[in-house]
Amino acid sequence: MPRRKPVASRPQRRKDPHRGEGREAFRCAGCRLDVPVVAPGTAHRNHCPHCLTSLHVDDRVPGDRRAGCRGRMAAFSVTVRGDGEWLIIHLCEACGVLSANRIAGDDNALALLRIAIRPLSDSRLPVSALLAL
Amino acid sequence: MSTDDKTRTITDTFPCVRCGLTVTAVAPDGGRRNHCPSCLHSLHVLDRVEGGPSECRSRMIPISIAVLRSGGWMVIHRCARCGELTSNPIAGDDNQLILMRMAVRPLAQPPFPLEAFGDL
Repeated sequence: MPRRKPVASRPQRRKDPHRGEGREAFRCAGCRLDVPVVAPGTAHRNHCPHCLTSLHVDDRVPGDRRAGCRGRMAAFSVTVRGDGEWLIIHLCEACGVLSANRIAGDDNALALLRIAIRPLSDSRLPVSALLAL
Repeated sequence: MSTDDKTRTITDTFPCVRCGLTVTAVAPDGGRRNHCPSCLHSLHVLDRVEGGPSECRSRMIPISIAVLRSGGWMVIHRCARCGELTSNPIAGDDNQLILMRMAVRPLAQPPFPLEAFGDL
């Protein structure tokens, strides 16, 4: 006997699109970790400390939220500034834009080191230049 | 006409902004080259947003090496004037010592002690 469906007592609540602005945490686009925005050593945390993935929301200035892309940005490379600070270079997987961000104090050291030694793990071309010395 | 165009593209050259080397625009593997093979510096002539010519025309300094999934190396350049980042594949005759120096530079100045990784 088919059960009679009860009449919906109240309409479904709409999602608040402005939820989370001026918030204290964001969710990582790569591993879904809840990341607090306060980070040791930096005032501009823009990537997940666990998997180093970021989101393409800023245009040129950190925090301006002017990019309409919102694609996932994967950690592409690591570089060193003149004063010895490491920067992660992110590549947007949707539009191909590159951006640089300083690492935070709680970033995953193993993930950072993996990116840093990735050129050396490839035993092709330039490694042979060192052997020829 | 077409052979003339082809000859022109093959013999096309540009002077390097940093070391002044006259560089052929075509790399030995046939690709178009955008940085000097000797010092790896480039010139900011392409606009990433519009895809057309950029009016910056400043020097682009190589800052790091990235590795693609396919195993190919990319040089990442940063414009000295406007801070724009670009990536380009390396050519076969690029200076391998400078490439190697950029690849090991992060490991030479680690932000954390690397000795801890020996226990893993």
